[in-house]
Amino acid sequence: MAKTETTYPISRATKKGVVGHLAVAATVLILMMAFGIIMLFNQGGLITISPDLFYSIMTVHGIGMVGMASLGGAAIMWYFLCKYVPLNPKVLMTNLVLSVIGIAMILIAAFVFKFSDAWTFLYPLPSVSAKQHGMAGAMFFLNGVLFVGVGFLIMYLEIGRKIAKQYGGLMNGLGWDMLFGKSDKHYGPPAAVVASTMVVICNSTAILAGATVIIMSIINILNPSIVFDALLAKHLTYAFGHIFANATIYMAVVGVYEILAKYADRPWKANKVFLIAWNFSTLFTLMIYTHHLLMDFAVPKWMLLIGQIFSYANGLPVMVVTAYGALMIVYRSGLRWDMASGLMFLAMFGWVGGAVPAIIDATIVVNHVMHNTKWVPGHFHIYMGLGVTIMIIAFMYYYNKVEGNRRDHSWDRISAAFYTVFFLGLTGSFLYAGKISAPRRWAVHLPEWMLSDIVGGISACFVLAATISFTLRFFANVKYTRTANTTEEMVHDTTSLMKKSS
Amino acid sequence: MYQQLAWILTVVLVFALAVVFLTIARKTARRVDYQPIQEKGYRIRKYWFISLVSVMVIATFFSLRDLPYHDATAAAATGAKVVNVEGYQFYWKLSQEEFYVGEPVQFNVTSMDVNHGFGLYDENMQLLAQTQAMPGYTNVVDFTFTKPGKYQILCLEYCSVGHHVMVKEIVVKEKGGASDGQN
Repeated sequence: MAKTETTYPISRATKKGVVGHLAVAATVLILMMAFGIIMLFNQGGLITISPDLFYSIMTVHGIGMVGMASLGGAAIMWYFLCKYVPLNPKVLMTNLVLSVIGIAMILIAAFVFKFSDAWTFLYPLPSVSAKQHGMAGAMFFLNGVLFVGVGFLIMYLEIGRKIAKQYGGLMNGLGWDMLFGKSDKHYGPPAAVVASTMVVICNSTAILAGATVIIMSIINILNPSIVFDALLAKHLTYAFGHIFANATIYMAVVGVYEILAKYADRPWKANKVFLIAWNFSTLFTLMIYTHHLLMDFAVPKWMLLIGQIFSYANGLPVMVVTAYGALMIVYRSGLRWDMASGLMFLAMFGWVGGAVPAIIDATIVVNHVMHNTKWVPGHFHIYMGLGVTIMIIAFMYYYNKVEGNRRDHSWDRISAAFYTVFFLGLTGSFLYAGKISAPRRWAVHLPEWMLSDIVGGISACFVLAATISFTLRFFANVKYTRTANTTEEMVHDTTSLMKKSS
Repeated sequence: MYQQLAWILTVVLVFALAVVFLTIARKTARRVDYQPIQEKGYRIRKYWFISLVSVMVIATFFSLRDLPYHDATAAAATGAKVVNVEGYQFYWKLSQEEFYVGEPVQFNVTSMDVNHGFGLYDENMQLLAQTQAMPGYTNVVDFTFTKPGKYQILCLEYCSVGHHVMVKEIVVKEKGGASDGQN
C-alpha cells in the first residue's frame, strides 16, 4: 500500500503572499491588455500613436504579460505545493517585493526613458539603443528584469531545497526513486510536487541563462569595446525567454490537478506514465527553445532539427497525459461546473489549442514562411490567454470559494462566456494575419492587414471588460484572514461548498 | 501553400478539440465508478499515443525533405547568382537589385549593426522566404523567382523604432528583358 501523503495547513502568511501575487498579476494583466488594444487599434489605423511610443508599449506588454503569468502561476503552485511541502512564506513575499520593484523599473525604463527594445532585447540592440538614446532606459529595463529573475530564483531555490529534503533528493520529486526501482511505492509524489520539481529545474536554468545575457548586455553598454557573440546571446535569450514563458503553464497546471480532482472526487495520482511524461516535459522544455532559431541558418543543422522534432514531441505529454487526464477525470464524475472547475477545464482546451498552431509553426518549412509573422503571437496568445490566464482566473474563484465562502454569480458566467468567445476572435485575427503574412512587431500596417487588427482590437475590448469583471469580483470577495485550518478541514469545507453551490 | 495549409489544419484541429471538450463537459452529470473509465481510458490512450506519434513521424519525414537551408553543392552546380545583403538600422543594402525569372539566386544575408530579419515578399505581400540577418554571421537563402514583378524585402526581426520602415523593393524581369515587372 502506498503511504498516505502528509499534508500541512496553509498559513495566513502564505495566503497573504498568494493574494499579493494574484493582486499584482490581475492589475498587470488589465494594464497589459489595455496596451495590447492600443497597439492593435494603432496598427488598424483607428488611432495614431508615435512609433516610439508603440514600441515602448510593445516592450512593456511582452515582459508584463510574461511577468503576470509567472506571478499568477507562482501563486497557484505555491498555494497547493505548501500543503505537501512546508515552505517559508517569507520567500514568497520576497519574490513579490522583488517583482514589484522590477516591474516599476521596467515601467520607468519604457515610459520615462523611452526604452523600446522589445522584451527579448536581442543583443546588441540595447547597447546600440543606449548609444542613441542614453543608457538609463536600457539599464533600468535590464536591471528590472534581473530583479524579477532574482526573486523567482530565490523562490525556486526554496522550493527545490524543500522538495529535496522531503523526498530524499530533487529528482525524486520527479519520481526517479519509483521509476528506477528504488522505491516500492505504486505512485510518485503528488502532482503538485512533480510539476513544481519540473518548474524548479527548467526555470532555474532559464533564469541563469537570462541573467548571463543581461549581464553581457550591461557590460557591453558600459564598455562597448567588450563585445560578445550575437548568436550565443540569442541562444541565451531564448533559453531564458522561451523556457520562462513556457513554464508559466507548468506552474499554473498544478491548479488543474488539484481542483479538478477535488471537484470530481477522484484521485489524480502520479503513476508511471504520468511521471515519465513529466520527466520528458522537463527535458523537452529545456531543449526546444531552438525552434526560435530555425531561421538562423548559421546554427548547426542538427540543432535546428532538434528544434522541430522535439517541439513535436513536447506536445505529447500534454496531449496524452495532462489534457487527456483532465477529460478522463471529469467524465461521468458527477462534477458540478462552476467558475473554478469550468475555467480550469477550459484552460486545458486552451493549452492544447495553443499547442496546435505552435507545433505547426515549429515545422521548419512552415516556419520559413511564418516565423515572425502574426502567426506567432496568434499561437502564444491562445496558450497564454486561454491557458495560463484562465487557470489564474479559475484559481482566483477557487480561492475565494475556499477561503471566503463566496459563491459564483450569473455575471461571472456571462463574463467567462464573453472572455472565451472574444478571445477566440482575438487569436483568430492574429492567426489569420499570420496566414496573410502580416509581420509581427510592426507599428504601422499596410491596408490589407488592417481588418484583422480591427477585429482583434474590438475582440480584445470585450476580453478586457470580462477581465475587469473577474478582477473586481476577486478583489471584492478576497479574504486571507481565515484562520489556518488543517488541509483535511479545507477539503471538507470545499466539498460542502461545492454541494451547496450545486 | 504552407500558410494556407497551416491555417486550415489549425482551424480544423482546434474545432475538433472544442467538440471533444464540449462533449466530455456535457457528460459529467451522472457519476459512475472511475475504475472502468480508467481501464478503458488507458486502453484508448495507447492508440491515441500511437496515432499522434505516427502523424508526427510522417510529418517529420516529409517536411524534412524540403528544408530551406543552404546547400552549397547544389548552389554551385546551378551557378546561382550571388547577392550580398546587408541590414542596417533601418534599410537594406543589396549588391544587386534586379533579377530574372528562373535564375537561381543565393542571398548572403548579414547585418552591420543589430539583428534584422530578411523577409522576401511577392507582389501580393505573401512571404516567400526568410532568414535572420545577424551581426558577425552570414545566413544564405537560395531562391529562384518564378514570376516577374516587384518584390519587397521586409525586416522580420525587431530592430528598434524604425523597424517598420525597413523595406526594400527589388525587380524581377523575364529572361531576355521582355517584362518590366508590370504583368
